[in-house]
Amino acid sequence: MPVSPLAPLPTLLVIPTGIGCQIGGFAGDGLPAARLLAAASGCLITHPNVMNGAALYWSDPRLHYVEGWALDRFASGALALAPVRQQRLGLLLDAAIEPELRLRHLQVAEACRATLGLAIGPVVTTDEAVGVSLCAGPSGVSWGQLAAPATLLRAAERLRSEGASAIAVVTRFPEDAGSEALQAYRQGGGVDGLAGAEALISHLLGRHLGLPCAHAPALAPLPLDPGLDGRAAAEELGHTFLACVLVGLSRAPDLVELFSADDAAGATTSIATTNANAAPLRAGLLHPSQIGAVVAPAGALGGQAVLSCAERGIPLIAVEGNPCLLAVTAEALGLKALKAASYAEAAGLLLALREGIAVEALSRPLPPLRPL
Amino acid sequence: MKLQRLDLWLETAPGPLLPQLLAALGEKGEPLRWAITAAEPAADGEPGWRRLRIEAVLLCP
Repeated sequence: MPVSPLAPLPTLLVIPTGIGCQIGGFAGDGLPAARLLAAASGCLITHPNVMNGAALYWSDPRLHYVEGWALDRFASGALALAPVRQQRLGLLLDAAIEPELRLRHLQVAEACRATLGLAIGPVVTTDEAVGVSLCAGPSGVSWGQLAAPATLLRAAERLRSEGASAIAVVTRFPEDAGSEALQAYRQGGGVDGLAGAEALISHLLGRHLGLPCAHAPALAPLPLDPGLDGRAAAEELGHTFLACVLVGLSRAPDLVELFSADDAAGATTSIATTNANAAPLRAGLLHPSQIGAVVAPAGALGGQAVLSCAERGIPLIAVEGNPCLLAVTAEALGLKALKAASYAEAAGLLLALREGIAVEALSRPLPPLRPL
Repeated sequence: MKLQRLDLWLETAPGPLLPQLLAALGEKGEPLRWAITAAEPAADGEPGWRRLRIEAVLLCP
């Protein structure tokens, strides 16, 4: 089918969580960049930690909220995305959440029903404490552990059987109010120590259920900090981090399996043709063969979504103006990438790709033609 | 079911990395979340060969 120059250029925006990105490594502070790239591309697929600003959020029909496990599967060609008008959100609460904090979360859900018109319910509590613990890897990247992962899956299955089409999960996270790492984070340095464990929880649920999922941690309020960095401030506006998750999931696209995970692992260039065993494609489906670009921090190119796209020749835009703990660059991995100094420059590159303008024609000196 | 952390150094051959990484991780368990957190040229300096550090959490029965 011919593609109009005005057609959207479906683009993945990846800002890996828990690696100390200067943009997007805090409380939804990747959202301005996401809004810009959504405007430039006409269709941006990104993950919750780019979009989630605790009590703050932004809704835009060009922005598709897709949890990391599903984003990886979409990039690898195993999933398609089906935009929806509304999801019915099941709320999954950890049994370890204290009664007062639990009530705060339930009141956020009630507020989102009453004020925003979201479809929320039922609510299920796990049959034992999830037992979240936090840790850092040898590189300094944040990770975590779950003492009882199966209790999450049992509760999520109940929600699905009661009609939930997406799952918002809240688990009790350990308090570390006095820690140096948290102080550094609140003042604009270091790594989000919660992020790695959050990603594990949402990956686990997404993999098990095949439904859109996203996580909010339950924590007691922190003491007022006059030195609080603006990028972390969204997390200190209210009693929970749940509102953004509910809003994001309320229009998260359905996940449509195209072929199995094992097939996806071996997929390289063949995803443009749908697997013979796949379900018939729905109208309006966002198919992985339509991905036109992937944008990621220049030092964080070693994740599954970026490698899946780059290794099948999808243009990779590496943003050098978003430093992080890692130095896993295009050169280090042998990948071809378009370099962007900032997300503003990345937006310009997306526009060039969308309009069919050769990127090399935009800078000087113009490289000479290469005779073979 | 339990989640198991893994820290792995892997030497990769020239060519696409993803199949090599997924094969190496798949020998240890089902990767739930992983990333390359360091990359350097292989010790013998052969072009295209790399040493990659992979941090992962695996899903184990």
